[in-house]
Amino acid sequence: MAVLNVEDLHTYFKTEHGIVPSVNGVSFEVKEGETLAIVGESGSGKSVTSLSIMGLIDAPGKVEKGSILFEGSDLTKIGKKEYRKLRGNEIAMIFQEPLTSLNPLFTIGNQLSESIKLHQKVDKKTARVKSVEMLRHVGIPRAEKVFNSYPHTLSGGMRQRVMIAMALSCNPKLLIADEPTTALDVTIQAQILELMKKLAKEHSTAILLITHDLGVVAEMADKVVVMYAGQVVEYTDVYTLFSNPKHPYTKGLLNSTPKFHEIEEELESIKGTVPTPTNMPKGCKFNPRCPFAMDVCTMNEPALNETSYDHKVRCWLYEEKEAVI
Amino acid sequence: MIKFLFKRILEFIPVLIIISFIVFSLVFVAGNPVALMLPEDASQEDIERLTVALGLDQPFIVQYGKYMLGLIQGDFGRSFRYNTDALPLVLERLPATLELAAASMVIAIIIAIPLGVWSATRKNTSMDLLATGGAVIGKAMPNFWLGIMLILLFSVTLGWFPVSGRGTMAHLVLPAITLGTGIAAEMTRLIRSSMVEILSQDYVRTAKSKGLRDFFVVYKHAFRNSLIPVVTITALQTSTLVGGALITETVFSWPGLGQLLIQAVNTRDMAIVQASVFIIAILVILMNLLADIIYRILDPRIKYS
Repeated sequence: MAVLNVEDLHTYFKTEHGIVPSVNGVSFEVKEGETLAIVGESGSGKSVTSLSIMGLIDAPGKVEKGSILFEGSDLTKIGKKEYRKLRGNEIAMIFQEPLTSLNPLFTIGNQLSESIKLHQKVDKKTARVKSVEMLRHVGIPRAEKVFNSYPHTLSGGMRQRVMIAMALSCNPKLLIADEPTTALDVTIQAQILELMKKLAKEHSTAILLITHDLGVVAEMADKVVVMYAGQVVEYTDVYTLFSNPKHPYTKGLLNSTPKFHEIEEELESIKGTVPTPTNMPKGCKFNPRCPFAMDVCTMNEPALNETSYDHKVRCWLYEEKEAVI
Repeated sequence: MIKFLFKRILEFIPVLIIISFIVFSLVFVAGNPVALMLPEDASQEDIERLTVALGLDQPFIVQYGKYMLGLIQGDFGRSFRYNTDALPLVLERLPATLELAAASMVIAIIIAIPLGVWSATRKNTSMDLLATGGAVIGKAMPNFWLGIMLILLFSVTLGWFPVSGRGTMAHLVLPAITLGTGIAAEMTRLIRSSMVEILSQDYVRTAKSKGLRDFFVVYKHAFRNSLIPVVTITALQTSTLVGGALITETVFSWPGLGQLLIQAVNTRDMAIVQASVFIIAILVILMNLLADIIYRILDPRIKYS
């Protein structure tokens, strides 16, 4: 059964320049123990999607339409108090910047035991024991000492381990990781990914992984959602995505990733930039940057169609082929 | 900690020497006070005799040297008007001023913290505009005007509080509100802007993602962080507080340092002016030291060095 089922999610921001549809009709599901990666450039709406699920979209943003089913209950319809009970408990989140995601004025122990005390209703002593145990579990040496130290005394990698310990301290069913390794150097990245994988497997935690790094996707994901300008443009399993990418944007992303055996070739890039929300092109949102753009692309927006089993693409190239066949 | 304090206290010495020089120079330039001390029909001879007797005919550097020699021994000279040593006179007035300053600080804090935080968490709503607008008005109101208006309303018309003087708690209310309003307004604005910035920090989002209640997110995770700039700036404004106290004390005939200082300036009672300014300078320096200590307590990232 799917732990999380996002259906036609629309998250809009009201700004001075009008309404900005940051997330515009996104649907996907994450099953127990499964890792789903959302890939896309900055501004594609991946982070807003994750914050919408956490219920942390602040004004002027709002989830306008759609449903977020978590274990069957619709998060867009539950009250503030019920949401708080889920947050940090059933659904936990790890953020991109370990350096700024911990409060500089409180000790690691204080911040870690905070959610344990809150959700597991245990006393200070038990929370301390559990926290130290969690710190050991995420591979922090001298856990007792780290418990009493302040965030600024730890390295970035250590702080991200602390964030993981914090997120997993209440055994959540769903872990949302928003670019968890982007701010870390490469060797630490691998360690952190390995750690997340291991811990998620132990408790069959579902992971929603937000990233722009296809290397991380290949390492971690079971399924992949490719987002562009607030929409899903391709949705399939990780093997199909790498072996048979269909959307020109996905192909572009894959081509712009350095590969070992092609080291001498010049790295390709997708020309142009992501359109700003107030200046969206008509028709397919990718058409100004697309090397295969046709007339129809500039006029009508394609739908997300299942072109083959478990492989959805939002592109006129495939709609036409389907239509011909 | 002790090393840090010791170092900071050593730093006071050059600051105090510079202040003594400035204060002495200002009073020196203000002219010979002898004319004001003698009756109007005193002869030129009398004036000269007294000038020589007080040593006021000597060159600046000699007078300053004597003054500094006295300072080192804790002697600020004698008040011409009261004919006693200046320092005890000033110190005798100090508690009244400290009482007023402390009371207005308490009022300011009681108003500013909830209002600033409340305003920041409702950024850009009409309530926030109202609070910010109120703060601007509070800051813009001159102390003497507010004091007089409060006296008119609460003392003269309603008769709730005494018009002037010091003694009971009732005497303290109006002067403390007068002096506290401006500080509260400034603090509200500071806390608001600091909180607005802190509320958008990553660690606040982390706190929210843990499922903490808004109250804890705001008061535990955000508020303490937002206090760091507030404490620093409030301490730097001690001089504004003292300036306000001078005026407020005069309006309410509050027998504090400010009132004494203003009278001393009017009568050119040099020793008292010098001693008061010196004591005020020490107060300002001490407040800055206190702020330094407070934000070292608030923020573990700052080391004593």
